Amino acid sequence: MALSIGIVVVSFVLTHMVPGNPALANLGQNPTPSEIRVFDQRNGLDKPLPVQLGLYFVHLLQGNLGTSQQTGDPVAHDLSMAIPATAELAITSIVIALIFGVGFGLVAALRRDGVTDFVLRILSLVGVSVPTFWLALIALYLLFFKLGIFPGGSRLSPTDTAPPHVTGMYTVDALLAGRWSTFWDALHHLLMPAMILAAANMGLLTRYTRSAVLEVMEHDYIRAAKAKGLSRRTVVFGHILRAALPSIVTVIGLAFANVMTGAVLVENIFSWPGIGQYGYQSSTTLDLPAIAGVSLFIAVVYVVVNFVVDVLYGVLDPRVRVE
Amino acid sequence: MSGISAVFLRRRIALSAVAALAIALTAYTGSSSAHGAARSSSAGTLVVDTSFIISSADPARDLDPTGYIVDHALYDTLLTEHGSSTKVQPDLATSFKASPNATTYTFQLRHGVKFSDGTPVTSADVVFSLNRVINLKSAPAYLLAGLKITAKGPYTVVIKSATPNPAIPQIVTAPALGIVNAKAVMAHGGSDAANASKTDHAGQFLDQTSEGSGPYTLTQYSTNNQITLTANPNYWGPKPKFAKVVLRDMTAASQLLNVQRGSNQIALDLSSQQADSLKNNSSLQAHTSASPNLFFLQATSNPKVSPVLANHDIQQAIRYGIDYRGMVATAGTGAIQAAGLIPVQFLGGLPTSYAVKQNIAKAKKLVAQSGLKNPTVTLSYPSDISVNGLSFATLAQRVQYDLGRIGITIKVQAVPVAPFLTAYSADKYQLVQSYWGPDYADPNDYLVFLPGGSVSSRMDWPASANPALVALGKRAGSTSNNALRAGLFKQIQEKLDQSSPFFPLIQPAQAIVGSSNLTGVALNPSWLLSVAEVGTK
Repeated sequence: MALSIGIVVVSFVLTHMVPGNPALANLGQNPTPSEIRVFDQRNGLDKPLPVQLGLYFVHLLQGNLGTSQQTGDPVAHDLSMAIPATAELAITSIVIALIFGVGFGLVAALRRDGVTDFVLRILSLVGVSVPTFWLALIALYLLFFKLGIFPGGSRLSPTDTAPPHVTGMYTVDALLAGRWSTFWDALHHLLMPAMILAAANMGLLTRYTRSAVLEVMEHDYIRAAKAKGLSRRTVVFGHILRAALPSIVTVIGLAFANVMTGAVLVENIFSWPGIGQYGYQSSTTLDLPAIAGVSLFIAVVYVVVNFVVDVLYGVLDPRVRVE
Repeated sequence: MSGISAVFLRRRIALSAVAALAIALTAYTGSSSAHGAARSSSAGTLVVDTSFIISSADPARDLDPTGYIVDHALYDTLLTEHGSSTKVQPDLATSFKASPNATTYTFQLRHGVKFSDGTPVTSADVVFSLNRVINLKSAPAYLLAGLKITAKGPYTVVIKSATPNPAIPQIVTAPALGIVNAKAVMAHGGSDAANASKTDHAGQFLDQTSEGSGPYTLTQYSTNNQITLTANPNYWGPKPKFAKVVLRDMTAASQLLNVQRGSNQIALDLSSQQADSLKNNSSLQAHTSASPNLFFLQATSNPKVSPVLANHDIQQAIRYGIDYRGMVATAGTGAIQAAGLIPVQFLGGLPTSYAVKQNIAKAKKLVAQSGLKNPTVTLSYPSDISVNGLSFATLAQRVQYDLGRIGITIKVQAVPVAPFLTAYSADKYQLVQSYWGPDYADPNDYLVFLPGGSVSSRMDWPASANPALVALGKRAGSTSNNALRAGLFKQIQEKLDQSSPFFPLIQPAQAIVGSSNLTGVALNPSWLLSVAEVGTK
């Protein structure tokens, strides 16, 4: 909570200290002084900064995040449209990263120093080090332009229409409405950006899982488990992976950070109308309420993710449970 | 549509690096579009890809390029233009009459026109719509500054100007001055009262529903995703060819790929180099031409900011020291040297034959004549944006090189656009590289460049600097005879070329690329594309 407030204060003060003038940024090339005055009044920019900040918090307590200068709509409304789009992308990408990252890491550790290990380590290195925007462009060029396997951006085909709004996640909403063709269309559009966003995390998870698993494998109890004749499957999943999980969970916290930063690039390249694109556009137009809203949202995501990670430690490792 | 602010800030083609990579990637494939499958559109749907710059679908609040495309399709205006021509044509008004002194314009409205909900369009709607623009005091309000709008019977509208204003017919073509259904908008919180800037709440309503009489209606609106238009069954004019138009927010890099894979598709933000690479592709049509945007240098006239630039000889040396031909070549096919400040395609635009030619010997002589030793000037430019795919840095580096050759040292200063605009308006810069995009296709939009005008004042060029030029500007801006007016504006620009702190550089190239089966793929200087005029062969 304190962290979120701190982040809001910092982002609010920083965006106000940028030596740019939102009225000039929004009123075309010929604003008259009276237009600038009306703009400043409408957006509360004529008041001193501490008063603006105070008012922001008062409105925040009432659930009012202000009105975006860029869209003219309440920021809360804009966020409610953008968050589901990003959530759909982020969740899919985290799931992809988890399945492949943990899987690859496990396989690499079990086949330590073999060809498979070598290949997977190279793959994870590539995933971690290749810039997301470059990977996105290459994927767009190859998978959309040359091969036509995936569509080239946005959430649905232009000929399709969005399913009725329930969660805002098109795949889920299409299923709820029973519109299978829209579901496939949405999923088809979702997969490529989600995979790109997953690449860095997949690499990260592969590396962490591999080293965590290798470390666990050194322990005596693993040797004992093998010696008493337990099946390989029980040893790997019941003993090794279980013991390695806490370190993997730590990485998921980092993975969320990657998704949030990666989303800005991936959403822009794939025309995905989520938080990343909204934040990017509002920062380039000095849309102060929108920037503060996005910062608040990201702060809350971080706090929640870290909380969940802490709770998961306790679930996974009885030794760190609070007495 | 305006230039150096809304567009500057929003047109984040800051992904120019991204675009460059995409060019590199596609360069060797040239015309590899044989994958022809109609992936992104079906018969009856036109897909237009563009980098969205839109803040509202409410015409009275909208002055952005994408907003103009949308509002031009949703709302009729009193007069309009067709295709890429800037010639004024009837729209809601079938005819108009100007008083001899160009202060009173009387418009006769078309009978039998209905809004998309079936309500008839009358003069009351026109008066409401235009007064609402004035009183909302949003970005387009300045278009109607000093104008008074009244109705004279249900089908006659009178626009009176305090001073003679022959640009009125051109101004009323602006999509921001689209006519809305007064009753419906008022029912949803709209107001045209003097205090509308505080009391009007119809913006959100008009972002969801259109209340116009134009060829299309709004079915889906999102400022960073997709805008969907559906043909208006009640439209009075020729039915549009496409039942549905989808505008998608796409980066230039994506547009380049999409237009090659799609059908019934148009890309609006490709650079002329990208368009050139597609010219041999038989499934596409690519057009490049000179954009009405203008790149120019502006020097301060304030000796306290720069004693060097306040020197007339140095100003003239800059004028003759620049390699304009090289600059045009850098800007790509379709770009031209700007002979004056008014685009060549507008009334009063100077033909390129009038353009200043580089003369290094003369420039060097002028520098020597100035008596200044090692004259040094800082050139500031917005670093994070590009116009028509051309970055300011590219041109600034050329200027630095060219002027270095004649003995003027240029320090380039790259500034992000938001702080750039603030410092530019506050007379903080010595030499600025800027640009101007037309608000409407009329030379009166360029009166701001005369001494004391809003652009000149940014760098301290007051009316007292050249009263004769100010007087000539007043005459040109108020003469109702267009032939005479064109002559006066040409004179003004010749004088500006002889002596002024403005140095017109180029009109960059603009490109539009579309599927080859489409007709009406043409760029309009005001609203880029009239989607209702796009058809199929």
